[in-house]
Amino acid sequence: MSLVAEVTRVLVNGLQQGAIYVLVAIGLSIILGTLKFVNFAHGALYLIGTYAGMLITLNVQLTGGKLMDWGYTELGLGWGFLPALILVPILVFGVGIVMERFVARPFYDRPDTDQILLTFGLAIVIQEAFKILFGGQSYNFARPAWASGPVAVPIIGSFPQWRLYVLGITTALVIGVYLLIEYTDFGLVVRAGTRDAEMVQLLGIKITRPYLMVFGVGAALAGVAGVVGGPLYAVNPNIGTEILVPAFLVVVIGGVGSITGAVLGGILIGEVLAILVAVAPQWSQVGIYVLAAIVLLTRPQGLLGDEEVVP
Amino acid sequence: MSHGDGGPTRRDVVKVAGATGLAGLAGCLGGDSSGDDNEQTDTEMSDGTNDGSNDQQSEDYPPLGNFPVQGSKVILGFNVPQSGPYASEGKDELRGYEMAVKHLNNGGGWVDDWDDLSGDGVLGKQVDYVTGDTATDADQAQKSARRMIQRDNALMVSGGSSSAVAIAVQELCQREKVTFMCCLTHSNDTTGKNCVRYSFREMFNAYMTGQALAPVVTEEYGDDLDFYQLYADYSWGKTQQASMKKFFEEAGWSQVDSVATPLGTKDYQSYLSEAANSGADALFLNHYGLDGANSLKGAIDAGMDQDMEIVMPLYNRPMAQAAGGAIEGIYGTVAWDAQIDNGPSNKFSSTFGSEYNGRTPSGPAQLAYAQTLQYAAAAERAGTFYPPEVIKQLEDYSYSSLGMGEETMRKCDHQAQRAVPVVKGLPESEQDSGTFYEIVNLTSRDDLGYGCSEGPAAECKLGSYE
Repeated sequence: MSLVAEVTRVLVNGLQQGAIYVLVAIGLSIILGTLKFVNFAHGALYLIGTYAGMLITLNVQLTGGKLMDWGYTELGLGWGFLPALILVPILVFGVGIVMERFVARPFYDRPDTDQILLTFGLAIVIQEAFKILFGGQSYNFARPAWASGPVAVPIIGSFPQWRLYVLGITTALVIGVYLLIEYTDFGLVVRAGTRDAEMVQLLGIKITRPYLMVFGVGAALAGVAGVVGGPLYAVNPNIGTEILVPAFLVVVIGGVGSITGAVLGGILIGEVLAILVAVAPQWSQVGIYVLAAIVLLTRPQGLLGDEEVVP
Repeated sequence: MSHGDGGPTRRDVVKVAGATGLAGLAGCLGGDSSGDDNEQTDTEMSDGTNDGSNDQQSEDYPPLGNFPVQGSKVILGFNVPQSGPYASEGKDELRGYEMAVKHLNNGGGWVDDWDDLSGDGVLGKQVDYVTGDTATDADQAQKSARRMIQRDNALMVSGGSSSAVAIAVQELCQREKVTFMCCLTHSNDTTGKNCVRYSFREMFNAYMTGQALAPVVTEEYGDDLDFYQLYADYSWGKTQQASMKKFFEEAGWSQVDSVATPLGTKDYQSYLSEAANSGADALFLNHYGLDGANSLKGAIDAGMDQDMEIVMPLYNRPMAQAAGGAIEGIYGTVAWDAQIDNGPSNKFSSTFGSEYNGRTPSGPAQLAYAQTLQYAAAAERAGTFYPPEVIKQLEDYSYSSLGMGEETMRKCDHQAQRAVPVVKGLPESEQDSGTFYEIVNLTSRDDLGYGCSEGPAAECKLGSYE
């Protein structure tokens, strides 16, 4: 394999690895940027998205947990992947709305530490609830039949087909969210709220509704990420907490509240992982934290983050 | 939670508590074991009858570790991963342990067939247990085991998965003079350079996996292939990688490269991509549990099975379930499987099934169950819980009661000499809740193993009995 092909292969690997992080991080970033709410339960929304996606897509044979004890040996609708891709965001959007209204809203004016404690606790509760219901074991969220197996890609050769779909779906969603935030009135209010929420309210805009929507959209994106990312790995109740740390790193690197920042952060993390695996595998996990540390030292607001207007 | 690091301090306190009738203090030390034995312990202590006078053998043997047993119950500690990448295995281990305790106390399962066991407890004492979460982490596992030993007075500790965990815990057990019955640990080091007198392993090791797999795999795929290895970056993965290199190179294959991957890696795509690009004909995925499921799934997603032969040296049921159809045609070894058709195996499967809602037991569950009963039977044979006597009953003990044919728990390294099942993954359409692979060869122990001065055993120095 030529050097060009080799480098391309590593870069594409990085890109696809970063794509899921981007999808999870965008929701986290817009909630954090707009609502100034640190949502440690964002990973739990990914978890809900994955399990819901798996149950809509497949017929899952349960091998543990309370549901099995209650006589449900098989669970799931077996409707295939596309219905899951449509239904799960709606479901998790609803979960997000409920979360905003009853969990986040009373805590908007509270210190970050309170928000972290609350949402981290909530994440653990959700994770444990899944563990009780489905058991702690891992399930196989099979890829859709039309996207399983490898596909030949020019220059780099054989590539896992589903990962190309992940790239495609992520790109489409990122563009969609970008257009929503940049070119709609809703986006205008959200962006203004990010800069100075108090001023927006003084201008007579009732900001609670956009806040509700932002939280819902952020949650729905985590839900989609769960459906899209589910088939990549084995599914178990810990996947939510596992994805949360890289997602926060993406937000920190890219800059809070910035969609392009989240994309850049995700791609950078994916690339650092892929390049280090190729040249110095033992440093691959350390690499992403070094990257985050360098960014935090040199540009504390993140690569594309704005400096705070209001202290 | 534990009361200091030194066992003697705790024992001294218990003695004082007994002599002065400080039942309340003893109650505190009893902790919150899963049973409610504290009340009984308190009563006997307040009578001044503790310090072993309720154990008939105690006059013959000095106090050692948690011997003599206080009260009417003997406490066993089950230290399994309830979180982390091996949590699924841990869950099934716990089922095996709980069933073993039930049978030891009330009869049933193998207990009915083992002459050494009576079904009414062990040495006249009811068996109770405490559990801990190792979180698949050596430090966490040691803390958990220390709590079981020092706070709950566990007389025997058993558990795994992860060899790093087993090695850390068995070192602690040697210091504390508490018997450790290894469950799922496959590193050569467990009964090799890190072996200890107080630990016994029924599970075979990576060395034996290499011995069992090489003939089957080279016969299937040819004898002059280049292979690439990915391995989990800790004790087990390293010895697994070394063993595969040794036996496959001896069989004529050549290693192109081998790369360590951090334990708990989720996305293996970059590692796999490097492997695919290496020009190797075969790929060994020395990963286990969730890591194994994810790396194998990734390899199949990338279509690597079309260009390379993939081998998953150590399999088990939970990971096969998590990997789904990806295991089709992939060779590996398993601790034990319900498909092994003989008296003890069938009895274990049916008893486990009726205990747990028709569930098919996994290898780790069988190991957990077997190791608990092994310990109990050794104590019965010894006629005492005095650890050195129990250990002597286990050393060089020959048995055929675990469904793996004739076995010997070798004295020189405490490694069971036993058969190793070689399996091949089934297509997804043929998988069901209990069957994920077919057994292609139950490699006899006569074709495996190594002398006491060879292989991993050459590095083993077991340490003292007392």
